[in-house]
Amino acid sequence: MPGVKAYTLREKSKADLEAQLVELKQELASLRAQKARGASATNLVRMHTVRKSIARVLTIINQQQRAQLRLFYKGKKYIPLDLRVKKTRAQRRQLTKHQKSLKTEKEKKKSIAFPQRKYALKA
Amino acid sequence: MAPKSKTTEKAVAAKKAVVKGIHGKKVTKVRTSTTFHRPNTLRLPRRPKYQRKSIPHAPRLDQYKVIIGPHSNESTMKKLEESNTIVFTVDIKANKRHIKDAFKSLYNVDVAKVTTLITPTGSKKAYIRLTSENDVLDVANRVGFI
Repeated sequence: MPGVKAYTLREKSKADLEAQLVELKQELASLRAQKARGASATNLVRMHTVRKSIARVLTIINQQQRAQLRLFYKGKKYIPLDLRVKKTRAQRRQLTKHQKSLKTEKEKKKSIAFPQRKYALKA
Repeated sequence: MAPKSKTTEKAVAAKKAVVKGIHGKKVTKVRTSTTFHRPNTLRLPRRPKYQRKSIPHAPRLDQYKVIIGPHSNESTMKKLEESNTIVFTVDIKANKRHIKDAFKSLYNVDVAKVTTLITPTGSKKAYIRLTSENDVLDVANRVGFI
């Protein structure tokens, strides 16, 4: 028995997914009861696929929720911490690219007045 | 002198305040106790600008997690027949209230009481006694247990 496939789940709505989740959990519960009685090999195998299916459904529910939230927070200043860029702690504290490129007025004037000259030797 | 009217008195007081300043007379607080207690200051409630976690977690101990499966041996079969009690293996973090609610919602039966114990192997066993109107054997069949 195959269990659910991720690409079919992605098309479903949230309510559908939650209903599917309940179904799968009920199936798992009944399989466990059968195991207590003494189960056949097929049932034990089925338990594995059901557990993984539950994991798949939960993953997809989570992914969808987070994608929606990212859209919601796009462009806003304050974002929940788990939606922020992770990188490493040190990298997050570094100057941004824009901040590094900033120059003082004095420096700007100097670079205009005295740019890097290029010379060439006449062959 | 002519009796001072209220307005002139006010004017004189104002002039004095301007010239001398208003902090001349020091008012000391009356302390009725020898111990100094921290005065109550303003305490603002939290108004976070953003949620720390984007998605709050679904309840971690839901009905399916609480009840694991039926526990079956000769003594539990005896309990089934004699005391209207069914024995279940249950999540170790569950308490009697959790177990009662989970059982009710999963199997639609009224629970009289739940007693629990933690087995030497580390799992939790729950003796779930149903009310006298419910038939345990019927529930056991539904659970898939007999």
